[in-house]
Amino acid sequence: MAHDEQYRLRSGLTIVSEQSEQLEEMLAQLQQKIPANFILLVDVTGQVVTTKGDIGKHNLVMLGSLVAGDLAASQEIARLTGEYQDFQIVLREGQDSHIFIAEAGPYMAMLIQVNNDVPLGWARMVIRQSGEEIAQVLTMPAQEEPEWDLHAGEDDLSDLFEDALDDVWLE
Amino acid sequence: MHINWQLRQLNLKIVYYGPALSGKTTNIEKIHDSVDPRRRSDLVSLKTKEDRTLYFDFLQLELGKVCGLTPNIQLYTVPGQAYYEASRRVVLRGADGVVFVADSAYSRLRANMQSWQAMQTHLTSFGIEWANFPVVVQFNKRDVPTAVPTTTLSRLLHVNGHPCFEAVAMQGQGVLPTLKAITRSVVGRVQQELVR
Repeated sequence: MAHDEQYRLRSGLTIVSEQSEQLEEMLAQLQQKIPANFILLVDVTGQVVTTKGDIGKHNLVMLGSLVAGDLAASQEIARLTGEYQDFQIVLREGQDSHIFIAEAGPYMAMLIQVNNDVPLGWARMVIRQSGEEIAQVLTMPAQEEPEWDLHAGEDDLSDLFEDALDDVWLE
Repeated sequence: MHINWQLRQLNLKIVYYGPALSGKTTNIEKIHDSVDPRRRSDLVSLKTKEDRTLYFDFLQLELGKVCGLTPNIQLYTVPGQAYYEASRRVVLRGADGVVFVADSAYSRLRANMQSWQAMQTHLTSFGIEWANFPVVVQFNKRDVPTAVPTTTLSRLLHVNGHPCFEAVAMQGQGVLPTLKAITRSVVGRVQQELVR
């Protein structure tokens, strides 16, 4: 493949810089508006996309996989009981803070931690709104064209991945 | 499959699927133990009190840059017990490739076939074209006395050209070749999915 070819995916999700900046801005607004202590945005497979607020000692990769798993299980429960709707929100109430896990369209999920003095109805409304906006950003066609230099010289791309796996393997 | 151009990341999800006690979690544990700790996440395991997988195991590998992108490979296992069919479907959703871990023991032939067929049913229900989907088969527990010949296993499962590997995952044998093969298949598909 030539050096200057520009790519995106036919299926799956491609986030370009322009969309990434919009997501950052939206989450900053959401954090301020609720207000939220911490927001984690992940894709539906659990990959961390971005965070806002106090990360503290959270293990983001572990949290990401659990948020995705939690939301996927809730969606499946809803599907099996015939009550599925888009942009669902799951709430976990705690003594000092509450956790919302919210769907943000077909590609994303959010974890939002709020203090217990934040009215839950208000938080739920704002989170749902943001979920819809995030989904819109990711489904609209981006202006910017992504670039990926796939030119691998003599090597096949699969060979490069195999080499990369060998590099992290200790035994 | 997810590309984030801002972070220059390529994210792939690989699911280890198969019947109960076939060695899915063992594969992930061996990968966890064998990979440079700076290039992997901690292992997430949602288990029952009896130490069986309740929902999934999860491990993320961060490889070195390939053509300017950092590949993150997310490895998930499904719970193998028959009771958790709905959870298997949930974990399988969004997978870019599957490693089917078959148990070589003669007594597990039927369980392998049922699990293989259920996996196809789930993937097809997601609109996935089974014939073109990256699947690698691992014949695990080759060291058991009642191990069925791999040719018989391949024939009974109708493996149909999917790459197959023998393994004794408990001893780490066959774990890396299986991981390499599924990564190769998935990357091949990524190349097909990329458009200008």
